[in-house]
Amino acid sequence: MKQRITGVGLVFNSVKWLLLLSLLAVALLPLFWLLVSSLRTNLELQTNPFGWPEKLQWENYAKALSMASLPRLLLNSVVVASCAVILNSAVTAMGAFILARERFKGRDVLYTLLTAGVLVPVISFMVPYFSFITKTGLYNTLFALILVYTAVNIPVSTFLVTAFMKSIPRELEEASVIDGCGFLKRFTVIILPLSRSGLVTAATFCFIYSWNEFLMAMLLTSSIESRTIQLGIKFFSSQFITDYSSMYAAVIITIIPSIIAYIFLHDKIIGGLTAGGVKG
Amino acid sequence: MQAVGTHRSRIWGARALFLSPVLLLFFFFFLYPFVFTIATSFTSWRGIGLMKFNGVANYQKLLGDPTFRKALGNNVIWALSQGFIQVPLACLVAMILVRKPKGWRMLRTVYYLPNVISTVALAMVWVAIYNVEGPLNAILSSLFGMEKRNWLGNPDTALFAVIFQTVIYIGYFMIILLASAMNIPRSLYEAAQIDGASTFQQERHITLPMLRGSLITTMTLAMAYGMRHFESTFLMTGGGPAYATTTMGIDLYLRMDALRYSEASTAGVFLIVMGTLVITLLRKIFGSSDPMSEMAQ
Repeated sequence: MKQRITGVGLVFNSVKWLLLLSLLAVALLPLFWLLVSSLRTNLELQTNPFGWPEKLQWENYAKALSMASLPRLLLNSVVVASCAVILNSAVTAMGAFILARERFKGRDVLYTLLTAGVLVPVISFMVPYFSFITKTGLYNTLFALILVYTAVNIPVSTFLVTAFMKSIPRELEEASVIDGCGFLKRFTVIILPLSRSGLVTAATFCFIYSWNEFLMAMLLTSSIESRTIQLGIKFFSSQFITDYSSMYAAVIITIIPSIIAYIFLHDKIIGGLTAGGVKG
Repeated sequence: MQAVGTHRSRIWGARALFLSPVLLLFFFFFLYPFVFTIATSFTSWRGIGLMKFNGVANYQKLLGDPTFRKALGNNVIWALSQGFIQVPLACLVAMILVRKPKGWRMLRTVYYLPNVISTVALAMVWVAIYNVEGPLNAILSSLFGMEKRNWLGNPDTALFAVIFQTVIYIGYFMIILLASAMNIPRSLYEAAQIDGASTFQQERHITLPMLRGSLITTMTLAMAYGMRHFESTFLMTGGGPAYATTTMGIDLYLRMDALRYSEASTAGVFLIVMGTLVITLLRKIFGSSDPMSEMAQ
């Protein structure tokens, strides 16, 4: 779109770039500040918290990782997030296969019900989740978090994976039936491999949610054996009280997995968002 | 599919087997909690012992409680600010990016980035930014000579401060709006250009009407999220100072923490009702959405 360079056009153009660049700054500066803070000395944090550090203190990272609880908390987060992703993917792949590829009465009702879960504010379920998890003896276990994260992501995953499976041409499946493929074969040989992309999208959302989740982890766990890294940063910061720069190093370590996932999978995330109004 | 119908019962068994995990999880983590929350909201229950039916006593108590009323009011402010500031800003950015200025793909990717970073980490940064000795005060006092204030510690500014930081999340709404703006046929703009319509007129009479559906969708989402806001406020202020930033979610948590389980459930019912109200109200006001939003759904 060509524009004649007029006074008004110039003003418009500058305002436009001012807006775009300040939003860019707003998105990146908090992360940048965290990164720089993790490389300061504690003295610099107190005297010059927003300037450039004199010498980059990489040993803050070594110090953070040598904190008694940090490796354990990281391991807990890795276990919880990966188990939730695997469980959620398996469960939704099976469910979505039926909802997308089989025809039966009540199918659309089921689909609507499952995906309408997005509309329900899960935080209003703090009481029932807590009482359910306590009654089943799962309180303060990693499995409690795995279960909750798997379940909470079902509406979003079902929506994404069912939509994806519906888009697979029927002819492919019919041909396989003629070739003698049964129910299980249709799922494992035809539909599952072809839905890989949709499953990866759903898994990405599930991973980012599970890795970052705070409230349910706070509600359902109470000791270091089963707490996740997000709670670690929030509550075990007493360990860091004299050593804030190492705490910031710990924070950077915890956001690295999210950033790596985003660098590799941002196309899937953006595609997933535009497939519908779902929040990761 | 004809061949499928031959082993009826076996097929039904397989279908049930495949559906049951997802349905069981949905039952235990959505349906049962939903019913449980509503049921316990009409009882007096402290987590252990018997539940005693006590009618609408919890509802009366909450509505008469200044803390809960403050939370409800704050949630309404949250919803309105998300719907009427966040979404229009996101829409403006989407309208700029759809014209594909230099680096638009990179901008789109980076704008969404804060959405994948943990709230715990970002809340920590904002607490530092809003600190009395923090960069915000440094900038404001050097540029405008404003006196340094404790943004999160002062009841007059705390709510504004916790709402303002959500500007980093606009990428989410922007991506939805941008995708549907990209689906507007270019021919509409070409025809308008031949008729001599200015860029501004094209945006006003083509882009905005065509985005109507997606705008309703994003506004609904934004306001529903405003109603269920919890995390960043809880992490930055814990709802304080003096309940200035409390929300229904925080109120629910604090009641539960004080072992007032049935009151917490009642707060949960309010959360669900207010969220539903937002969604139905927007549908009523703006009408059901057009085909564009069905695409976005």
